[in-house]
Amino acid sequence: MNLYLLQLVNGIGLGMIYFVLAVGLSIIFGLLRFVNFSHGAFFLLGAYGCYQLVQMGVDFWWTLLLGPLIVGVLAWLIEVFLFRKVYHFPHEIHILITVGLAMVAQEAVILYWGPVGANVSPPELLQGVVVWDSFIYPKYRLFVIGAGLALALVLGLLLEGTRLGAIVRAGSESTEMISLLGVNIQRVFAAVFALGAATAALAGVLAAPIRGVDPFMGVEVLGIAFVAVVVGGMGSFAGALAGGLLVGIVQSMMSSIWPPGASLMIYVAMALVLLLRPNGLLGRA
Amino acid sequence: MANRRHFLKLSLAAGLAAQPVFTFAKSDDLLVACPTAMSGTFSAIGKYSDLGIKLAVEQQGSVQGRTLKYRMIDTEAKPATAVRRVQEAIQQDGVRFFPGALLSAESLAMSKEIHKSGGLLITNAGADELTGVECNRSTFRWALPTYSIIQGSARPLIELLPQAKRWYTITPQYVFGEDLLRNAKALFQEKGIEHVGNSYHSLTEREFSGHLTNALASKADVLFLLNYGAQASDALRQAISFGLKEKMTIIVAAASGLEQFESLGTDICDGVYFGAVYWHTIDTAFNRTFVEQVRAKFGISPNYSLAAPYINMRMLIDAMDKAKSTEPREVIGALEGMVFEGLTGTEEVRREDHQVLRDFYLIKGKSKQNMRDKDDYADIIHSGRFFLAPEQTNCKMA
Repeated sequence: MNLYLLQLVNGIGLGMIYFVLAVGLSIIFGLLRFVNFSHGAFFLLGAYGCYQLVQMGVDFWWTLLLGPLIVGVLAWLIEVFLFRKVYHFPHEIHILITVGLAMVAQEAVILYWGPVGANVSPPELLQGVVVWDSFIYPKYRLFVIGAGLALALVLGLLLEGTRLGAIVRAGSESTEMISLLGVNIQRVFAAVFALGAATAALAGVLAAPIRGVDPFMGVEVLGIAFVAVVVGGMGSFAGALAGGLLVGIVQSMMSSIWPPGASLMIYVAMALVLLLRPNGLLGRA
Repeated sequence: MANRRHFLKLSLAAGLAAQPVFTFAKSDDLLVACPTAMSGTFSAIGKYSDLGIKLAVEQQGSVQGRTLKYRMIDTEAKPATAVRRVQEAIQQDGVRFFPGALLSAESLAMSKEIHKSGGLLITNAGADELTGVECNRSTFRWALPTYSIIQGSARPLIELLPQAKRWYTITPQYVFGEDLLRNAKALFQEKGIEHVGNSYHSLTEREFSGHLTNALASKADVLFLLNYGAQASDALRQAISFGLKEKMTIIVAAASGLEQFESLGTDICDGVYFGAVYWHTIDTAFNRTFVEQVRAKFGISPNYSLAAPYINMRMLIDAMDKAKSTEPREVIGALEGMVFEGLTGTEEVRREDHQVLRDFYLIKGKSKQNMRDKDDYADIIHSGRFFLAPEQTNCKMA
């Protein structure tokens, strides 16, 4: 199979991971207008949650459910007891508080698990590779593509086909209007924040067998998540998918075309998109 | 506006602030400082370095009639921070001896500063400049140059696998990576190896699937990973998931130590070759004793980040005893050309460039069922000394 075709498939796989990572960030910003720099911390906690549960003998498949659930509950508590009190402050304060929270999470991980990373094996069913002609691809990464698509479908149905989705979409236009219609907007905020954090945790669980776990993984992925959101359009669910895929494909293709610039070109692509469409691929003014 | 009186007041204040230096000069304590990363991405290095220095200091107690004390300096893996904290240690506490540094960029920066102040740095960093173009009389290196790493890892593997003629490299694009690649290319040319491709990556790269796809497409016999630490772990982990272990032999030029094996696990390391500057099963009397002592005191087997600062401290103590002095100038003189029993056997500090001449190891990861204990991740399959002649290192001793 052509090398560039291989890289395209690999880029789609990468892009799906970036989508799962970025979608929560996008949804939270869309509704809450809250710049959440602690998003990487939820990714980190999801990954370590998976690691800890597997160490305790829990099957990996259960961690896909338990990891996001635990982190989602934690995020809900953080929203209720901390973030809710600071939404009215300017974005600079949001950044300060969420960066602080991310640092606390990182140091807590170091205190409990130590500074050295660890490995998480994929489940037995997903170990090994799929071989088709000269195409070789890890089964686990194919599973991640499927999981990303499934999440996109579920979130799409949730946001487009349910009352909660209608409230979230309307809320992203005008929270005051939704409040005036009798919706408990604070409860919706908490639910959306918990959902966003849970998707970050799911990304962490999915990423753990690919890249292992280490205390600094949250900070490292945050940049990519923001790029995917900005490229796709801040607050746009479909934009997160488009942005994630674009970033993944650019990174993978550039690994063959110009390997030293593979990471750099992600940011060049972002700059180009913003030049042509200042609100991102699918963002609205 | 400042006037002469104001200037005199400031001078007096500065003199008072420098009081600890004079206090130190009168004291019987000899304070040494280990400048390394205690926080951030490389904080694991600091954690183990602390144990290594602590063990050596506690074992020795005093040297030349002065009580040994040590302090860890957190460089945060940032050269600017490292230089600032070293300056503080020199000016405020009169520290002159700095054993145990590990990171290249900050070692290069600190080397100049310590040389300027007439101190002594013993580093374990990989940058060739430390004993090459930027060598100076104050700087000594126990770690090995990139030439030794390539010769000690790739050369024995080429001889072990004569049919493996096609090699693919993945290289981090910074000085250490470039030097490794340059030495690897020279070796490939000498041994008739076809270098079928190379993927450069940045220092922040954590996703290697694109580069591994290139390696797969090249149909190489050997994948040679020239990256280090977490990047080498990520590249290796992802290479295994792409099934490369079944397609080609994988070798990591320089393992970062036992903790790398602990974090990767046997499933990944089994059958993979690693270059190693230190491994806890090195069969020398000194190392056997050292391993026993570390296990007894800390309950762990020593890794490179623990062993290197320990032996740096031992070198310093031996040199002070040899010089019968704790004056840096005398100790530097004693270190130059010093032959001592170290972790890898009889080691020698080369006078011309201050490089410690010692063995480099090629180790091979083993399966879980073949491990004799929980740390027995790999077997040493080759060891040897590989150094450029002093005149080839470009060191003009300042």
